Amino acid sequence: MTNAKQPAIQVQNLWMSFPGKQAGEQIHVLERINLEVKAGEFVCIVGPSGCGKSTLLNIVGGFLPCSQGDVTVEGQPVAGPDPRRVFVFQENGVFPWLTVQENIGFGLLKKSVAERAGIVAHYIEMVGLHGFERAYPRELSGGMKQRVEIARALAANPDIIYMDEPFGALDFITRLKMRADLVRIWQSEKKTILFVTHDIEEAVQVADRVLVMSKRPATIQNIINVDLPRPRDLDSRGYLATRDEIFAAMGMSLRIGESEAEAARPNGAHAPKPQGLIPN
Amino acid sequence: MSATPPQPDLATFTGNRGPRAQNFQWSKIVLPIVVAILFLLAWDAGVRITGSDIFPKPIEVMRGIIQLIQRGLLLKYVVASLYRVTWGFTLAVLVGVPFGLFLGWYGWAFQAFNPMIQMLRPISPIAWIPVAILWFKVTDKAPIFLIFLASVFPITVSATAAVQNMQPVYLRAARNFGLTQFQLFSRVILPATLPQIITGIRIALGVAWLVVVAAEMIAVNSGLGYLIIDARNAGKRYDLVVAGMVMIGLIGLVLDLLVRQLEKFDEVRWGYANR
Amino acid sequence: MSLKRTLLVVAVLWTALITVLHLKLNLHVQFFGPKPKVEATQKFRVGFIPVTCHLTCPVTDFINKNMSGESFFEPIRFNGWPEVKEAYLSGYMPATFLLAPLAMELREQGVPIKIVYLGHRDGTALMVNKDSQIYRLEDLRGKTVAVPNRFSNQRLLIYKALKDRGMSIKDINMVEMPPPDMPVALRQHAVDAITSGEPFMGQTELDGYGRVLYLTKDIWPNFISCVLVVSEDAIKNRRPEVQRLVDGIARSGKWLDQNMDHRMEAAEFVAQNYYNQDPRLLRFVLSKPPDRVKYTNLAPLKKDFEEIEALAVESGIMQGTVHFEDYVDTSFVKDDTAIQPYAWEGKKP
Repeated sequence: MTNAKQPAIQVQNLWMSFPGKQAGEQIHVLERINLEVKAGEFVCIVGPSGCGKSTLLNIVGGFLPCSQGDVTVEGQPVAGPDPRRVFVFQENGVFPWLTVQENIGFGLLKKSVAERAGIVAHYIEMVGLHGFERAYPRELSGGMKQRVEIARALAANPDIIYMDEPFGALDFITRLKMRADLVRIWQSEKKTILFVTHDIEEAVQVADRVLVMSKRPATIQNIINVDLPRPRDLDSRGYLATRDEIFAAMGMSLRIGESEAEAARPNGAHAPKPQGLIPN
Repeated sequence: MSATPPQPDLATFTGNRGPRAQNFQWSKIVLPIVVAILFLLAWDAGVRITGSDIFPKPIEVMRGIIQLIQRGLLLKYVVASLYRVTWGFTLAVLVGVPFGLFLGWYGWAFQAFNPMIQMLRPISPIAWIPVAILWFKVTDKAPIFLIFLASVFPITVSATAAVQNMQPVYLRAARNFGLTQFQLFSRVILPATLPQIITGIRIALGVAWLVVVAAEMIAVNSGLGYLIIDARNAGKRYDLVVAGMVMIGLIGLVLDLLVRQLEKFDEVRWGYANR
Repeated sequence: MSLKRTLLVVAVLWTALITVLHLKLNLHVQFFGPKPKVEATQKFRVGFIPVTCHLTCPVTDFINKNMSGESFFEPIRFNGWPEVKEAYLSGYMPATFLLAPLAMELREQGVPIKIVYLGHRDGTALMVNKDSQIYRLEDLRGKTVAVPNRFSNQRLLIYKALKDRGMSIKDINMVEMPPPDMPVALRQHAVDAITSGEPFMGQTELDGYGRVLYLTKDIWPNFISCVLVVSEDAIKNRRPEVQRLVDGIARSGKWLDQNMDHRMEAAEFVAQNYYNQDPRLLRFVLSKPPDRVKYTNLAPLKKDFEEIEALAVESGIMQGTVHFEDYVDTSFVKDDTAIQPYAWEGKKP
């Protein structure tokens, strides 16, 4: 664990561009990204689709090298994936050739058999897959598979968990449930979570803080503190206000049928003034 | 998680079909037999109608097979052919799977070797017969070599494609856990590619069995391929020619059924669409 | 059981089982009990194809086995000319029966090969379908004729026969076909005429759809199609064995031509033990007529080969750069008339 003063994740002046289709052409994806995540914090990144949220998370996770800038995790520059930080993918990364318990124990090869069995049993219980230890992923529903993946990440006992739209492929009801479960687990396990989603409601439901990204080339446009007590009431005024604040920051209307020009107006009727804008 | 009631999983739907399951088994066995009987009847009628006394009737082929059994030749020939296919094919698997994985994993190796493989692949094993005789003389090694050649390319190509088509998310998930290169290979790459490799192996086994006739044209003096060629030498013994064909077909069917059993193992079943 | 373990166990057990069975059933390896004596040198292998042109090869083997309990050479059966040639070239066997022009052409191409003896004389026919309108060689004009190989003497025979009648090889359409496939091809009218060594010609007659247009003895008396060839290496290093082989072949030939009983006996044991054919076939071609194929007077003679050579050059299959002395070694037959037939009267009571 990191000491309390030091941020768990620190990104400074990060730029990212990909080579384009034509020679010499560069597509700028990320510009001048700065962010900090404190140890034990639950932070969400939201933004329009295709803005580069996942790219940012992949860079922080060590799966992609950035073009320019510094990424420091737990005081050390990121050089690649590290077993102390585990990534949960949008497309399910559960190994279909292993059973539920084998999947969860995948990262525990160095532990003794008994120790491993204990950890696996603990997390199977935690994600509610009791009775499915010997089932293969093809026998599980999408939500159950995603729970296996989360349990596998937790079992490796990382300090940080990166999640890239982990519930994107699930149905609405399952998604709601999974969010509740994730927050419960996070509360008991005290991990740092950096969570990418395009679902604003999801972000407000789970996060301590929400980082709003702009369109490409993306930068962090707003940082919104979700100062709401948990468990969160999805009908409360505070919840709705925070949600609307993010919608407004992303320049979106909450009224279906409104013209795009009206919706895009920066100070729309519903939107409070954007705040916490990062000074450029 | 707050006591989640176990969700109904897919297994309960696919594993237990209730009364329909039995129906399914029935059609799986009876229908093919009906087709086979119809085929035999059509064959018999065809020979009778054309009045050919060269092409044998099914019953004559049956008599030919019985004669072969009585002379103790059938077992000998089946064993000889299976022996050659077993060794040629085993060698092809031992060479083709590691080599194919290697090519699939290292892009430079694929670029270096693929043109050569694609060039050698379409050459029929029959074209290799002279080379096989010159290199291996008239021993069992020559047909084994031909069978090896026929099956090593499909195996290599399927293993290569399996690695190249592997879902990248498995690799990324694995990299999370800090595996060594060897662990990555044995715990992720191999199991992730196994379903496709097994399909490649199944196809290759069919090819290997297919070339057994050609491979036994070399002066080996046993085997089902030899039986066919020998029967041609024996004057009008086309009943034995067809008997050899029938035996090759039947054993091919059994081999395919056996290899298909591999696809039912839990480690690879995920890789096949629900059948 | 897991997939890996199942695969491993099944693969190992199966491979072991099939290997043991194969060794036992087909290679006759003795696993228990006394090991058979390992011979100091490998037995002299001799290649042959199941045609009457090579009949002396199995006959010699069989008579030796029955007279002295063991043969001094190992006959190796092939099914087609390319395979015999390739097995010989690979060095698998030092001696084989081969088409005469093929042996000569190999010599021309630099292969160290020598003809030491003939396989037979005559023993070839040209067959047409019984209901065809071909009654004379002239009727073959524009027809399709199957020959075993471009280096076969059968091709030269047609060449000669047509030339004698003022025709040329271009007047007919010639195709190469393995002799075992010829009878069916004739019967199904896939070709109009076929010619190769016996018994495949006799088979068409026996089955009632073939008609003899000519026998070789009618147009090229003392025709030679196959010869016994030996590598120069064997002549140099294994001379006694080569001598023994030539003597054996010569004695078998004389034994076969001694009387019809011997021929019928040979038809029986060769068909059963070596050719795997219906004995009726061999009985037929060895007796109807008796001079259809002959096994005496088999020492290679210069004038015979000069005739073949001239025809081969003329028809374009040889260059003509090698001659009798290059491709024949006559030193193994000092006096052919002095050779006595095997004194064996068969297993009949």
